[in-house]
Parts: sequence; C-alpha cells; structure tokens
Amino acid sequence: MRSFGYTRPDSAQAAVAAFAAAGEGARYIAGGTTLYDLMKLDIERPAHLIDVTAIRGLDAIETGGDRLRFGALAPMSEVATNRTVLRDYPVLAESLAKAASQQLRNMATVGGNLFQRTRCLYFRNGAGGTSAGTTYPCNKREPGSGCAAIGGLDRGQAVLGQSASCTAVSPGDWPIALVALDAYVEILGAAGTRSLPVAELYRLPGNTPHLEFTLAPDEIVTAIVVPKTRAGRRSAYHKIRDRESYAFALASAAVALDMDNDTVRQARIALGGVATRPWRATAAEAALAGQRLTPDTAAAAGRAALTGAVPGRHNGFKIDLAQRTVADALLIAAKRTTA
Amino acid sequence: MNEEEGGAPAGVTRRTAIGGTVAVGSALLLLDAERVEATVQSSPPPRAGATLAIRPIVNGRAAPVTIDPRTSLLDLLRERLGLTGAKKGCDHGQCGACTVHVDGRRVASCLTLAAKTDGREVTTIEGLAEGDALHPMQQAFIDHDALQCGYCTPGQIMAAVACVREGNATDRPTIREYMSGNICRCGAYAGIVAAIEDVAKKGRRV
Amino acid sequence: MTSAPFPDRPRVDAREKVLGQAQYAADVAVPGLLYAMLVPATIAKGSVRSVPVDAAMRVAGVVRVLTASDFPPPPAGGAGGPPPPPTITDQIAYRGQPVALVVAETLEAAIEGAEAIRPTYAAMAFVATIEGDGVEPQPVEPSTGGDADAAMARAVTRHEAEYVSPAQHHNPIEMLSTTAVWEGGVLTVYEGTQGSNMAKGALMRTLRLSADQVVVKSPQIGGGFGQKGGAQRQTAIVARAAMLLGRPVKLVVPRGQIFHNATFRPKNRHRIEIGADAEGRMIAVRYDADQQQSRQGQFPPAYHESPPMMYGIADYHGTAANLRIDTQAPGYMRAPTPHPSSFAFDSAVDEMAVKLGIDPLAFRLKHRATRDPIDDKPFSTHFLHECLTEGARRFGWDKRPLAAGATVRPDGTQVGWGVGCGAYPANVHPTIATLRIGADGTTRFAAAGHEMGQGIRSTIEQVLVRELAIDPAGLEIAIGDTSVAPQHVTAGSWGTASAVIAAERAAASAKAAMADLLAGRTPPAGNLHRQLATVRRPSIQVEVTTTGPGQGAKEVERLRQGGMAVSGPVYPQFTSFSYIAHFVEVHVEPRTRRIRVPRVVSVADCGRVISPRTAASQVRGGVVWAISACLREATEVDPRYGGWLNNDLADYVVAVNADIGEIDVAFVDQPDNMFNALGAKGLGEVAMTGCAAAVANAVYHATGKRLREMPFRIENLL
Repeated sequence: MRSFGYTRPDSAQAAVAAFAAAGEGARYIAGGTTLYDLMKLDIERPAHLIDVTAIRGLDAIETGGDRLRFGALAPMSEVATNRTVLRDYPVLAESLAKAASQQLRNMATVGGNLFQRTRCLYFRNGAGGTSAGTTYPCNKREPGSGCAAIGGLDRGQAVLGQSASCTAVSPGDWPIALVALDAYVEILGAAGTRSLPVAELYRLPGNTPHLEFTLAPDEIVTAIVVPKTRAGRRSAYHKIRDRESYAFALASAAVALDMDNDTVRQARIALGGVATRPWRATAAEAALAGQRLTPDTAAAAGRAALTGAVPGRHNGFKIDLAQRTVADALLIAAKRTTA
Repeated sequence: MNEEEGGAPAGVTRRTAIGGTVAVGSALLLLDAERVEATVQSSPPPRAGATLAIRPIVNGRAAPVTIDPRTSLLDLLRERLGLTGAKKGCDHGQCGACTVHVDGRRVASCLTLAAKTDGREVTTIEGLAEGDALHPMQQAFIDHDALQCGYCTPGQIMAAVACVREGNATDRPTIREYMSGNICRCGAYAGIVAAIEDVAKKGRRV
Repeated sequence: MTSAPFPDRPRVDAREKVLGQAQYAADVAVPGLLYAMLVPATIAKGSVRSVPVDAAMRVAGVVRVLTASDFPPPPAGGAGGPPPPPTITDQIAYRGQPVALVVAETLEAAIEGAEAIRPTYAAMAFVATIEGDGVEPQPVEPSTGGDADAAMARAVTRHEAEYVSPAQHHNPIEMLSTTAVWEGGVLTVYEGTQGSNMAKGALMRTLRLSADQVVVKSPQIGGGFGQKGGAQRQTAIVARAAMLLGRPVKLVVPRGQIFHNATFRPKNRHRIEIGADAEGRMIAVRYDADQQQSRQGQFPPAYHESPPMMYGIADYHGTAANLRIDTQAPGYMRAPTPHPSSFAFDSAVDEMAVKLGIDPLAFRLKHRATRDPIDDKPFSTHFLHECLTEGARRFGWDKRPLAAGATVRPDGTQVGWGVGCGAYPANVHPTIATLRIGADGTTRFAAAGHEMGQGIRSTIEQVLVRELAIDPAGLEIAIGDTSVAPQHVTAGSWGTASAVIAAERAAASAKAAMADLLAGRTPPAGNLHRQLATVRRPSIQVEVTTTGPGQGAKEVERLRQGGMAVSGPVYPQFTSFSYIAHFVEVHVEPRTRRIRVPRVVSVADCGRVISPRTAASQVRGGVVWAISACLREATEVDPRYGGWLNNDLADYVVAVNADIGEIDVAFVDQPDNMFNALGAKGLGEVAMTGCAAAVANAVYHATGKRLREMPFRIENLL
C-alpha cells in the first residue's frame, strides 16, 4: 500500500473543500470496506484520504412523509433493522441483511455501499504485490490491457450488460433493491448539490470499463431517498449464493408488487449478480402487469427478465438460475400481506 | 556468497543494540496506560511526515499512539499495543478472526483504519473478562467445547457477545446467520451455536 | 493395565483460548522486530532475469531486500525424507513462488517495498492443468489382492463409473508465519507447524546449521489440517534474513500467497468397476486412480489405502498414477486420500446397491471385512458394522423409503437420506517422554506432539490425571518444541495414540519411582505433590521411550534424528484401521436447487475414546469438512496462466455457520488392545472419510440424480 495523507473533516462542505485542497489522487473514504480492501491489494492507490465518517448529521434515517431518506453515513446494519424499513420495505432490509457479515454491515455505510467495486477474480487478483502475484489483464484495472475473464473461468461473470472489454458483475445487493424502488441520491460537490436516480449512478462497461460511476470525483452522496410505495410491503430480496450466507450473489432479484387481490397492477423487478450494473427488468415488469401471479406467470416473468442475456463459457446456468430466482422472489413477495 | 559447510553464514552481523530476550507469554490481560506508552515507545517510529497521533480508548484505558495512517486497527492492536487476542486470518474482512467492538459494535479490525478509532472505544477479547471471572460467553464456549484450535475463538466470542446484545440470538437459524461472518475452519459451529443459545436462554446480561 | 472408558472433561487449554491468551507463533512478542514481505513470481514457469531493488530500498523503513544471491546453494540430497523446500532461487516452477523478501522496520513499509519490486523474467511454456497437453503420467505400484479380473468375470452385476475430486486448499485460519531470532549463534524460530522437527531439519540443511544451533517452537497451532506438516516455503527465507541482519524478523504470509506456496489437495480422478455375484455380494473391484502432481512432488497417490479395508472384497486390483504438471507440490490435506477415495468408492457401492434394488444400509451390512486383502493379515479390531447399526438407530433409518425421489415436502423440497462409510489407517510413532512431578504442586510432561485443536493435550491430561494423583491445575504439557523432547510430525491421526501410550507408560514409571522412594513405607497422606513434600524430595523425574507394534531401536533413532518414524497400518501380526459411518439428510430446493444438510449422525470406531469431549468435536469438525469439501470447495486454475484464481476466503468458498445443521456424534468406544495398551486409535482423519459419499448418496435419494464430481454446485441440479 502506498503512503497517503489522511484528514477527517466534520462537515460535508469541509470535505468537499478538503478534496479540492488535496489535489491529485484524493479520495473520499467512508466505512472503508471496499476502498481499504482494494488499497491492501494495491489496486486502489489514493494519495490522500478524506474520511467523511466524522461529518455530523449525515447518518439520520427519516421515515416520515412521502419518502424514506437515509443519510449516506447510516451504517448498513442500522438501516437493515429500522422498524419502518423492516415492516414496509422488506426488500430494502433483506438486501442489506443478506450482504456481507454483521461486522462489515456495522462498518459499511449505505452511501458507500453504492460504490462497491466488482469482485471479478481477474480484477481483484491481478495486481501483483502482496496479492498472489498473478497478473491478469484487466481493462477495468489497467485500461487497454485486455480482459482475462473473457475466454477464461467466467462462472461468476455477467450475462447481461457485458461488452467485449469487460464482463465484471456489479456486486451490490442494496443498489439492486434501490433501483427496483426508483430511489435517487442527493449529491454534494464543488459545483453544488444535485440529485440523481440510483440507476443512473452506474455505467455500462462499454469500452471504458474503468469508468464505473457517473459521480464526479469530488462529489459525495449525502443521502439516499426512496419514494414511498405501497408495493413496498409486498417486496422481497432473494439472493442465491454458493453458500448459505456471507457470499456474493450468483443471482439475486429485488421485487416489489402492487397487487389487486392476486392480480399484479405493477411489478418492480431488478436483478443482481448477473449484470454489469444493477439491472432493472422492465420487460418482466411489463409482462406481469395486469396478470394474475401464479407459478407460471412468475416463471414467465423470470424468463422475460433475462431477455437478451448472453452466456459465456461457464456461466450459462446463471441465466436459468436468475430466471428461477426472479420467479421465487415474486412468489415470496406476493405472499407477504399488506396489512 | 561463499559459506563454509556447517559454519556460520558469511555476512552475519549482530547488532548489539538489539538486546533482550524473547518474551513468551506476555499477552496483556488488562491494558494500563503506562504499559501502552511503554509499548508505543518501544515500537519503531513510523516515517516522518506521514504519521498521525490518535488516542483510542482500548479496553477502557486511553492508548495514545502515533501511527502510520496505513495501519489497520488489527495491526495496531497486535503489533503496537501487545494485544494479540484478535487474530489475522485473511486481512480482507473475509474470515472474522479479527473481530473486536468499536463503540460497542462488532467490526472487522483488519478492514478498519486505525486512524478511525481516534477517540473511540475499542474492546478486544482481552477486555471481556472481569479479573479472573470469565464472561458468560467465554464460559459457555468452554462448556460446549465451541472451539478446537482456538485461533478464530476470540473473534467468535466477540461476535457472539454482539450477536446476543443485538437481539440476534433468538433461535438457531438466526444465530447461524448472524455468526456466519466468522469462519471456523476446525468446524466447531455446532458448539458455537449451542454456547450462544445457552447464554441467550439464560437471559444473562452480556 | 486399565482400559476403562474415560470421563468427560473440558478441553485442557479451553480457558486460555477463550481468554485470547493462547499464544500462536505470530503472537510472540519479540523486541526489536523487523517485518518481512515476500515478492511472488508473476510467471508460471521460467527464470528470473533481474530483481531491481532500488525502488523498494527507497521506501522509508525498508532495510534490506533478499534475493536468490543471498542464499546458500541448495543442499545436496541427504538420506531419508523429502528435501527441504528451496529458499529463493532464480528458477521459477510455479506462479507465486517467492523471488525476493523485503525486510523493513514496519509491516506497512515491508508491504510497500514488496509492491515496489517488479522483477523481469524469461518465461517458459507450462502445463497448468491435468487436462492440458504435456502432462507426464507416472504410474506407481498397484495394490492387489486376489485376482480381480477372474472375479469380475464371475460377476453377474457390474457397476462402472468415474468420480472426481477437485483441487482444494486447507486454509486453516491461522496464516503461515515465521518469526526468526538469531542470537548467540542460536536460531530460534516460532512457527505454526505440525512438524517442528521438519522445520528444524530444513533449517539445518538449508542454512548449514548444526542441531544445537536451531530451536523450533510451535506450542499452539491455529489449525493445520496437513498444511503445516512439512517444512514451509518461507521458514528458511525468514531465518536467513534474521541471520544476515542480526535482528529478529517476522513474516505473516498473505492468504493469496499461501494458496500458491503451501501444499494443497491435488485434483484426483477415480475410475471404479465393482462386480457382484448372484447373491448380491460384491466380489470384485477394479479401480484406477490418478492425481494432479507437481514436477518434483512426492505426495503419493495412495487411493487404495482404505477402500479394500471396508467390505471384505477379496479380489481387488487398484492402480494409481501421478499426472505431473507445473504447479507447486501438492500434499497432505485432512483425510488426504481416504476422503476422495471414500467419496468415490462409497458412492460406487451405493450405486451398486441401487442397481441391485437393495437398501444401501442392508447392502453394506451384507459385507463384513475380517482380513486385509492386500497384505493378507487379520484386522486388529473392525467395528464398522457396529458404527452402521448404531448410526442407523440414531438416525431412524428404518423409516427410509427405498426409492429415490419419493419424499417431497408440500413446498416441493426434495428430501433424501444417505449413508457413507470410511476408514483410516491406525498409525503410530515412537515417543521419548519425560515426566517430572514436583513437591511444589507442578507436573511437567514433555514429549513429541503438536496441538492444533485436535486435543492432543487434553488426551495426555486425561491419562495423567487418571493414572496419577496430581493437581491438574499444575500440569504443564510441553509439546511442539524441539528443545523439550525429540519431536515428530503430528499428522495422519497418529498423534494421540503415540502420545497417550507414552503418558500411560510415564505415569506407571513415576508410580514405580515413587514406590522406590518410599521403600516400603506406607505412603504419606495427600497427592503425589504432598507425598514428595512430606518425604522432602523436591521432585521425581522419569523418562520413558515407547514404540508401536513391531517398532524398535531403528525407529527410535529416526525419531531422535528428527525424521519420519511412523509405522502402520500394517503391523507384523495384524492390520489396523479406524472406521466411521455417516448418515446424512439433505434437502434440495424445488426451483433454485440449493442443497442443504440439516442433519448428520456419525458413529466412529477409533478404539478407546481418550477425551470424549474433544473427540466429539473432532468428528463434528470432520463432518463440517466433508460437507464443505463436497458442496463448496474447489481451487480454480486458469490454464492460460497457472496459479490459483480464487485465492482468498471470499472466493474459495468454505462452509460458514449457516451451512451446518445438527450433527449427532457417537462412538463404539471399544479398545483395540492389539494396537496399544490403552486401545486408542486415531480419529481426526477418519472423521471426514465417507461423509462426502453420504451426502452424494442422499442427494441421489432426494433427486434421483447421481453427482460424481465434487463440489456439487447449484448448476449441477438445475
């Protein structure tokens, strides 16, 4: 790990000012569970860290009115156990509770989690140094070096949204649920404040897979806002992994259903574990609208959700698995009462 | 390099400044501030220009120390403060052996920048027992043989105490889920679950 | 000689472990310590052209970079045992091999220094997988009993299939580490090793040191599972740095580098043909096994160690081969060959039972082994049937429907029950032990042995506390230290049997010494400490040397020299194994097809159980290992690059707490008094054997689908 400067401002404005003052190589750090991890692997090499966790007032969880508003610094574990979130938005609570371990959820913030980087093996294990010394080409890590995952051991790679440059999966759970619920983020930067749908935070890899987020380097997310919806109560985050807990998704589905008895008025469906960014499955949503929810229509929605999926060498099963995961998620959510 | 068979290798230079014998069995039970100061002073100074002075409260005592900003809380505890109960098993937040409490919450100390603990309360396995009296979770781990090699055990116990305090020790499936961030390669999971269930059922304050 | 059951007692070192006071190698406080980090090779084969060190030396705090030129040439091949691992050489045999060591004042500086080094290489073509071109097959001696071809010709029912077990890594949670102190011409090394003698021998040969110049201490090991059995790649490298710099040096090897430099369970394949006669008895086995092997590796493909010892099949022909490729050396990993061979063989046995339409438990009970068909000797004891019948009773096997796929829950979950059996050799090595009992209330037992959580200290304590009136609180069990007694590698489930017979003999010897001291007087009141105080003797000390069946002066001398002195499982008069039967329930999800194992019953025959509590934990641990090996673990190689792709604990998936359900453990607890006076045999290895087959057999019973390649993943049942 390279040496770096470290400052811990106590306001968001001071953080943005500190970022500007620090110059080249400055990075914000919150919980650090991604950034510090990747610094240990010599993949991230910041010259200066601006630790935002001492900023006061950025960890509030507000559930009144017509929206949920989560301060960016609220720990994942706090939001996961918020009573309103648990009762009215199980998809949000479950997406947090099924991510990482309780230790990491206590450290990681709901804002920082949006910027978790991929777990692609060729990305993480290829930087040499104190990692295993296996240097794999990776366009995300070293633009222009190539992609070893294409034509390699791609069991964990994306089947949706990949390009000839990159097939790395967007690893998050929480962003999947947020995208399903049309959440947006409030952003502060040197140029002022703005808001942006969570779905628009993420880029497709295209031929620039090293550019993952649409945030400017000096901007920070200050809050995540979820518009309230009655579909929240009939929602679920279903995550299939290689073990029962503490693993990244092979396939996951965030769903929320607005239903009239057993007929779907509107469905919201997003996929994780299978795509290069959080993947809203609009075709599946359209397929379900106005339909009775049955195992058959749920399965059909699952198939629609994977429209356009392209398998690699070893990950074809993920298409089938994701279809089934969507179907199960819909059936789980539908059983939840709105009372 | 030429060497004589059986002789001392060429080029060996012994620095007399490095005296002192190896201290075995010197794990600190309770940290006192003086000892921490002494430990800090005996540690090599980090490079000039890239140091941070922090003052975490470790197991109830202030532990002022100057660190390299890169230092993890785990390395601070183990290499600078002589608290070797928390263990390094992966150094990437993937095993749980380094679990400690910061401001009462369980965290992975290997992924926690030590700099972040300035002014915060850090509790390690060494701070759990009160004198000779074991913490109920420590006793339950003995009673249920919830360990084998013992290497992951400090992290398991710190996680287990937090699991009960969080209200996540309600039944076996929940305990299993909330203890899944702590890998026990010896496979003592059944005993670990039984120990936590035991403590939670007895309603003991932990 | 008593061989009565032993009582339940807490693990002897549990208290220090729950307090965080147990000291593992990297916990030892050493003043003036320097920190080290290795630089791994980034080619899979070839040679190092240059190692530019300037950038590393410019990192503040870096004091030295060691490269190949800092090491003596490799030692000439000596007598016995594997050669020590090379130190740092310019010839690269596998990706991740160390090419330099950076030593610095702080860990952070050592890491930054290591990252700053970018060696240049001359790369060569390589073969990274056994499926690739350029594999060198190398058969070993076959294992044959009777005439398998003739018997197979008589068979009326045959089953033939291939089974595969992947490459896997041990991953004890304690990382490999070495702390070396060179002081006064003596090198003291603290290292988590199951073979302090092996580490010592490697240091002596590699660094040209004499026996009295090297001490290796490994008092507590944070899990071994075989990974820490041999000399470790980093040991002499770190020791050399300490000698050159005159300061203590510590290296904790990063997990990713451990994947590349430690040994591993090689990928292995099993082509098995079983023939049964008209009565539905298995009468013939033809079994060809092969395994991934490095170019120079020595880990033997001993896949025929256990299968012939299970079911009394007299006509058996087994072949085995190494498939040599470019990788680091594979090695012993828990139940090294019996785990994969029992998966393969007991799956095949199950398939035969299905083919014959017989309940798989009843089918196994039709076959009782009485002789070792390969070596033509009787077994000492063989209680596999007792394991099976007791396990079946506890599990409720009699309620099992014969047909596969017959049990489906209302939500569509398929339920299956499977049985699997395993066997593991009963091995033993000589032990030279000293026992000192003090008037001050202390007792010290010093012998060969390494504590890695299996509970060897608890077994020694059980014997000493039962045999002697001593204060358990004052008992020190000094093992894993070359300065306290001749050490031997602790592995292969031979540790406990070797240690407890020495403890028992030492206790008898101490009692005799006490009687001599009293010279016919009535013993004074109180325990031995009080008695010594009363007769004003500060202490008594005895030394004993114990050996296994058929062992003698030759094996004792080998022990003294720090070599391998293990005998078994074939002894002059008999063959001896431990046995186990596992009963497993699996649930398979209706749509996403996850396999869950909510319930296991395991009954073991390890002779007399010395420490019931730690023994039960050993078996539960073996079951967890089997579930993890069968459903989770595989280390992946990209053939274009070599090395291990999923080299951390996030991507090398091992079982977590939520993967494990209820595990009910019981023991036959019948002593094997042909094997030793206490009747104890090994347990830690046998615990894992047969359980993966039980899972596979249960998955078949649940789904009707036979899975023959581990690990079983979601895609295998979609």
